[in-house]
Amino acid sequence: MVMTRNSLRLSIGVAAAILALIMQLSAGTFAQELFAEAAILAVFALSLDLLARSGLVSFGHAGFLGLGAYTFGGLAVLQNWPPSLAIAAALAGGIISGLIIGCFAVRTSGAFFIMVTLAVAEMFFSWVFRSPLFNGADGMGGVPRLDMRSVGLDLNNPRNFATFCILICICVWMFAEYIIITPFGRTLDAIRQNANRVSAVGGRVFSYRLAAFALSGAIGALSGALKAQHTNFLSPDLATWVVSGDVLIAVVIGGMGTFVGGIIGSGLLVYLKEVLSSNFGHWYLFLGGIFIGVALILPRGIVGSVLDWRDRRHARNNPAPAREDEA
Amino acid sequence: MSTLLTQTLCKSFGSLAVTQEVTLSFQSGMRYAIIGPNGAGKTTFFNLLAGNLQPDSGQILLDGRDITSLDVTSRARIGIARSFQRNNLFAEMTVHDNIAMACAIQDNVAPVFWRPMRGFSSVHKKAELIAQQVGLEDDRQTAVRHLSYGSQRQLEVALALACKPKVLLLDEPTSGMSPQETARMDHLIKALPRELTVIVIEHDMDIVLEFADQIVVLDYGRVLVQGTPAEIKNSAIVRQRYLGEEGVAVGSQAAERPAP
Ligand SMILES: Nc1ncnc2c1ncn2[C@@H]1O[C@H](COP(=O)(O)OP(=O)(O)O)[C@@H](O)[C@H]1O
Ligand SMILES: [Mg+2]
Repeated sequence: MVMTRNSLRLSIGVAAAILALIMQLSAGTFAQELFAEAAILAVFALSLDLLARSGLVSFGHAGFLGLGAYTFGGLAVLQNWPPSLAIAAALAGGIISGLIIGCFAVRTSGAFFIMVTLAVAEMFFSWVFRSPLFNGADGMGGVPRLDMRSVGLDLNNPRNFATFCILICICVWMFAEYIIITPFGRTLDAIRQNANRVSAVGGRVFSYRLAAFALSGAIGALSGALKAQHTNFLSPDLATWVVSGDVLIAVVIGGMGTFVGGIIGSGLLVYLKEVLSSNFGHWYLFLGGIFIGVALILPRGIVGSVLDWRDRRHARNNPAPAREDEA
Repeated sequence: MSTLLTQTLCKSFGSLAVTQEVTLSFQSGMRYAIIGPNGAGKTTFFNLLAGNLQPDSGQILLDGRDITSLDVTSRARIGIARSFQRNNLFAEMTVHDNIAMACAIQDNVAPVFWRPMRGFSSVHKKAELIAQQVGLEDDRQTAVRHLSYGSQRQLEVALALACKPKVLLLDEPTSGMSPQETARMDHLIKALPRELTVIVIEHDMDIVLEFADQIVVLDYGRVLVQGTPAEIKNSAIVRQRYLGEEGVAVGSQAAERPAP
């Protein structure tokens, strides 16, 4: 069967989604926590990867996750907002903070962008770490979950919550896939490939990157709101650079810019963390070793390498007029 | 119909004066060629016109409007489009997607995030016409990285044309091309719509003498002479500096062409 690069990528995504749902629905109670955690990390990874389409790699994405978690938890616990409204507020918070931070952050790129995003996330961390409003370093408990009993789903049941998170992840994935086939998404691709040429043909690189940053912020905040619901707890640790690093690892290992790669990378990261930490003392050492190994063998990540392999095979089987399907 | 003017334009890189008091006028619909040895400041002059660089002093006017402070994007939007001396394309896209991207940006379609790109038939139609215009109609689905160097040069021009320019700046469009590719590009340039103002930087004197209404010779950032092809051919200073004392083979400039 002839599959274009893009349809292979989408097929991997559909297969991963179906497999995740089957595995989750048939898994035991304890594993439900891992499925929820992986799905939430995958939403976060999608947020990072969507921004990466515009050529910007953030190292402070935990700032958005933390902001979403604290906006959701703060409003739901301290202001007694219904969780559904609090989620909407978290999304809005992600967009607004993305627009404000983006105004100066997306004027930079490369290492400078990494530094700026890291610095802003650390500022957020040190603020919540000290803030008496959210119990500072001790964190704050009692964060409720979304009430979906009206549609017959009690999210306080771990199994239901895990299914819910996987479904949210699938929705966000489809949203991201849709965005990249629109003119806006294609322009982000063009900017990643050659920002100077986009300017030269009259495109405002800054505006597109700002919009991508705000969109990414909204999705990052959504993952934070889910995270706070999952643990029922707000902790400054949500916004540390370790969280930014983990999601970056998940995306790079899976294949940056492929979306589905970040999702698979998230599942892998959560699974390996669980297996290694319950068997070894210095488990982060092993984890690091594994990821360095993967990065060396598959420099374009798991999915990226599969797609490249398909391209090479395709080129071998169809020499001469090297035709191309959309990336 | 538009007239591009530069007034005592100056630009230095450190102590190196690359553009020195360049005052030129480009009348609408006319063809201009800028010639001069490598390092004369030709590309820098284009960078100043297109807004990639800000001049140290002097003004640039389009139809009487001072556009000196406008950036690259704004100038592209008011009709100054350029191609680059070194291919500057969207490397992971196909030929069609490259051109369609530029058309989408020009037509203000690019910000749309609620409808797929494939639905914008007017953009795709325009991209097809431009591919045809530059002779890439058979390569529309080819990825840039699988394109021959010469075809990449054609795509370079296509992206500039997609900007619906009033003034088109082409920086060595035939550089590194085979004789056949050069002939094709020559044909393309001559067939450009008459309402366009075209300024080319070109080393191939055969093309220049045939194509240009006016030739500007740059030397160490200064305008050495300016005139019609006949005037340039007969100019004592040009003969002495560029065509050799005897003023023989006009095509001897070819020696300056960078290797493909
Ligand atoms: N961005 C820059 N910084 C420093 N020097 C530059 C820069 N761009 C060009 N130059 C120098 O300016 C001179 C003119 O360059 P250029 O305009 O590219 O010449 P041409 O296109 O006529 O060959 C060269 O000596 C080049 O090294
Ligand atoms: Mg040059």
